[in-house]
Amino acid sequence: MSQLGPIDYAVISQALIAGAREMGVKLIRSAYSTILREARDGSAGLMDRDGNTVAQAELIPMQLGPIGETLRACLRRHPVETLKEGDFLINNDPFEGGQHIPDVFIFTPIFVSGRVVGFGASVAHHLDLGGGAPGLNIHASDVYQEGLRFPPSRYSFEHDWNGGSFERLVTANVRVPDLTIGDFNAQFAANAIGVMRVKQLCERYGTDKVETAMREMQDYSERRVRAAIAQAPKGTYYGEDAVDDDGLSDEPLVVKAKVTIAEDSVEIDFEGTCAQVKRNLNCPYSSTLSAALSCVKSVLTSPDIPYNEGMARPITIKVPYGSLLNPRPPAPVRARMIPAYRVFNAVMKALAQALPDKVIATGFDCTTAFCLSHLGEKGYSVYLEIFGGGYGASKDADGCDAVDSPLSNCSNAPVESLDIDYGFFRIVGYELAPDSFGLGARRGGAGFTRRCEILHDDVQLAIYSDRFRLAPEGLLGGEPGQRGYCRVFRADGSVEELKSKAALDLGKGDIVEMFVGGGAGFGRVVERPDAMIERDLADGLLTRDPRSARKLAAE
Amino acid sequence: MRVGVEVGGTFTDLVAVEGGRVVVTKVPSTPKSPDVGAFAALTASGIDLARIEDLGHGSTVATNAVLERKGATVAFIATAGFRDLLFMQRHDRRNIYDLFYAKPAPPVRRKDCFEAVERLRADGSVETPLDEAKVRAELLPALRDGGYRAIAICLLNAYADPVHEKRLAALIGEALPGVLVTCSHQVAREFREFERASTTLLSAYVQPVIDGYLHRFEHKLADAGFKGRFTVMQSNGGRLPAEAMRQSAITALYSGPAAGVVGATRQAARSGYKDLITFDMGGTSTDVCLVQDGRPSLAAETEIDGLPIRTPVLDIVSVGAGGGSLAWVDDGGMLRVGPQSAGADPGPACYGRGGTEPATTDAHIVIGTIRPGAFLGGRMQLDGEAARRAFEPLAERFSLSIEQAAASALQLADANIVRAIQLVSTERGRDPRDYALVPFGGAGPLHAARIAEELGISTIVVPPNAGVISAYGLVASDYTKFDAVTRKMKLDETAAREAGRIFAEMRARLAAQFADMKLPGTLDYTHTLDMRFVGQAFEVGVEIPANRLGSLDAAYLAELFADAHHRTFMHGANLDRPVEIVTLRVGATLPIGGAPKLDREKLEARAPEQAQIFHGEAWLDCARHTAEALNAGQEIAGPAVIEGYTATTWVPPGWTAGLDAADNLILRRSP
Repeated sequence: MSQLGPIDYAVISQALIAGAREMGVKLIRSAYSTILREARDGSAGLMDRDGNTVAQAELIPMQLGPIGETLRACLRRHPVETLKEGDFLINNDPFEGGQHIPDVFIFTPIFVSGRVVGFGASVAHHLDLGGGAPGLNIHASDVYQEGLRFPPSRYSFEHDWNGGSFERLVTANVRVPDLTIGDFNAQFAANAIGVMRVKQLCERYGTDKVETAMREMQDYSERRVRAAIAQAPKGTYYGEDAVDDDGLSDEPLVVKAKVTIAEDSVEIDFEGTCAQVKRNLNCPYSSTLSAALSCVKSVLTSPDIPYNEGMARPITIKVPYGSLLNPRPPAPVRARMIPAYRVFNAVMKALAQALPDKVIATGFDCTTAFCLSHLGEKGYSVYLEIFGGGYGASKDADGCDAVDSPLSNCSNAPVESLDIDYGFFRIVGYELAPDSFGLGARRGGAGFTRRCEILHDDVQLAIYSDRFRLAPEGLLGGEPGQRGYCRVFRADGSVEELKSKAALDLGKGDIVEMFVGGGAGFGRVVERPDAMIERDLADGLLTRDPRSARKLAAE
Repeated sequence: MRVGVEVGGTFTDLVAVEGGRVVVTKVPSTPKSPDVGAFAALTASGIDLARIEDLGHGSTVATNAVLERKGATVAFIATAGFRDLLFMQRHDRRNIYDLFYAKPAPPVRRKDCFEAVERLRADGSVETPLDEAKVRAELLPALRDGGYRAIAICLLNAYADPVHEKRLAALIGEALPGVLVTCSHQVAREFREFERASTTLLSAYVQPVIDGYLHRFEHKLADAGFKGRFTVMQSNGGRLPAEAMRQSAITALYSGPAAGVVGATRQAARSGYKDLITFDMGGTSTDVCLVQDGRPSLAAETEIDGLPIRTPVLDIVSVGAGGGSLAWVDDGGMLRVGPQSAGADPGPACYGRGGTEPATTDAHIVIGTIRPGAFLGGRMQLDGEAARRAFEPLAERFSLSIEQAAASALQLADANIVRAIQLVSTERGRDPRDYALVPFGGAGPLHAARIAEELGISTIVVPPNAGVISAYGLVASDYTKFDAVTRKMKLDETAAREAGRIFAEMRARLAAQFADMKLPGTLDYTHTLDMRFVGQAFEVGVEIPANRLGSLDAAYLAELFADAHHRTFMHGANLDRPVEIVTLRVGATLPIGGAPKLDREKLEARAPEQAQIFHGEAWLDCARHTAEALNAGQEIAGPAVIEGYTATTWVPPGWTAGLDAADNLILRRSP
């Protein structure tokens, strides 16, 4: 193992992983906005001096995958030799290594004896960065309407932040500056902790050993991924899925993946995917890459393989420029998670042909962003939550019920904390949805409903979601999961059905019911054990016995 | 006479203390009915039960009831619209790349979850009154039909006012006498409904089990002539009389590790050491805890089987590194140790029971720190050749000698423990170099010096009888109860005064509870405010010094908070943001007074033997001493091994060891 003994390697690599984990914990626990502190929509990691991910806090897969791309975009503009102690790099540019505007990446160089040995990295989904509407502008027709864009840039923490010009610029352009600046500070602090931990390691073991360990960790993950690929059946496999629509027309947005498993590498080609669209459902290249890598990692490798840049080396991704999955600027990209999930689904469907025992059927697999805002006398109050749905079933297990979808990992906000923090709405229901999953030898995970009662007039609702029209498909005879909906029960007794990408003004007494569906089934329902059916019937998750239809058919 | 009986997974330990005499007994545990093993220990010790004044007991009954799903048939009641609270959980996953992920399963079925129509607001005021007619017409019959032993109630915002929970419990109590009802405000008066609901459910689930167990135990004791006080250990490091424990069952979880920390803390204090890092290295894991000024750190929450429990517990971090932890190579070629363990059966290869994989105990035999003929005071003969054979494949894989391979495995086990210590120290803003390391458990003192070197710690305190410290902790611990109330207030002068008033109220409530438990005496109180910057979701606990309680002002509290926040998160020291109080906590402790002394058995002085230990890269000549034959004041320079009845200590080169007046073995690093 190069010049590093097995012990030094094991100790340093585990310490780097522990350092990244600590960064993540502290980022979340000292954050201000509900989206970061409760939903935990943020991530952190340690990078080497060339901009490769070495270790990460396992928070949000989507944000973690391409952090290297995001940092390297900064380093192309500001080469590592030109950085000074006290500098930081920032990037949220969807067309230069970033993902979507709210996810702001900050990198702090780690200096040891005047030389950069790596970077502390953090990313947070910011509740509001200006743009055409509080929290979420679903009508944006270009990226300029989606909020403040930070191209890959370098600033000085001392001169530009902490009351400096850059901080004032951000403060002046966002609607909830206390929360946004607080969350930026949580990012800086998380990076500082990572910097400190790496410096301590360098003091203890020497910079050479730490840098060697950083390289070796990537080689290690690469070896394990290549070993896993070598076990998989060789060949070319195809998968396809689609986003409901672009919010303007009813045309599905088709995503196609061609997956070629070679000796010890994988190529994924998205040729044939539809062209980019006029609304925010475009998926920047970094996001496409992240979704495809997450799928391959989840299917091929055991969960204990550390995710870092080495993981990605055996996997090549080709995405046509100008398509939904690699749009030209200035396309709006806010809802990029939705096409990213179809990338995940299309790659999974292709891999299902090669490795049916290792995949899951399609889940509800969607990020539903649910945003309520209210302009009161004290300024804006913005509530944003992310909902998942049910997981797809697998050969041996039912899908997970009511959980965030595979590319994300947001928590819900406790109802009691929302009662404390917001006066203009209240959650009045949060329940598993019976029959929302696809049946099969194993069933999909159940979806759920969340109901909000509006307590003031002049409240704005904005959502983006998907699978209101196209249900998740079952695998090997499994049934599809249910489609989602968003319904408003007006105070006057009328009911309005929303599209999956919509905004609406609400008044006092209105009730919004958001339903996210379940996952699809795996295998034929006739093979489902009686005990599992009876349990779901008794628990009220299943309201009719699938065996009665079978018995009728037999008679 | 004071007696502690600690039921562990493998052994049941007993420590009896009377005057200067200490009796130590170890018998095998009887997992199916732990009380059988406990009484076997009492019998084996030859103690007359009638002479025991104070019997402290710790067991894994509550923990096992949850892990093995052997609790009561329980029903759960939530506010209408929220019956699925326990299944929704927090909507997140513990392992983000696991496609087959399953949530932690609460010990209740969905069909046993019910709703009550009612709703309180965040301030406790009533939004929707409790629909009692519906309760009588629908809920009560359903509960009756279900045949439940226990019922858990968790209503939204009940932490702010328990009015609806109390009324609902009363209605159920009238209709279903004999069914145990547990309300969320009784177990955790704090916000965040899922965590509170989970705590309530688990409490209701284990309560009948604990109740039955203690009832049986008390009867057996009475039959055997016991007339003293029977007390039970809690996870917060304090005891409660068995009678009171039957109403507070959830605090009995994880009492074993807590007892160990208390025992180690008490014993180290006798030598004057109060800032400690304790580590208890057993067969499969190591438990680590930080002790500040003689008081172990507390955490506000723990979990079991992935389910949260919101109750104060000692802040113990556990890692899978023990005597049975296995060394292995993963498919990326990395050497790893644990968390897989050889367990007690087959055990490490040296046990000669068919184990072939190398465990840390095998590594100790290979490098010479454990002698095959002297394990557990010679009661168990080990196979040294089997230990060497087990390390052959690893040695070959990395082109190392067998000794080097074994030493590497030990270094990795140490690294795992070092990380656990960093988690409770550096990550909480504490510098481990300011603390003394207190190792115990069978394997702790063998690893302590190397771990201390990694962390820059220069003092190690090895307690006598290091293998039975948990049982000692049972008789050395005080009586403790905690109370917590969530009351969100923006920090200003009114809030500071209000905090003082609520603290007084809580003290009065705790004092009344101690009176009810027939525990007279002057209580020691600790006061903690959980605070955060307005807008944050996680609070930082700040302890308020007793001498400032009478004169709380906002500026002082804000300063305490900012310091604590900065220590942990490295930002927030400037006070340009408003601060709020979220939760107030009071701990009440009744000191037992005069902790019993844990002495070392004394043998006649004898000359040390010569031994060879593999250290660093070479075999070193060193002396092997017998712990029981050491004299106070005798200085032993490393390298040396000090072999004891329940644990062996390794003194590497550069360290010295000496027995002090309190019978602790103090290791110091030469400057």
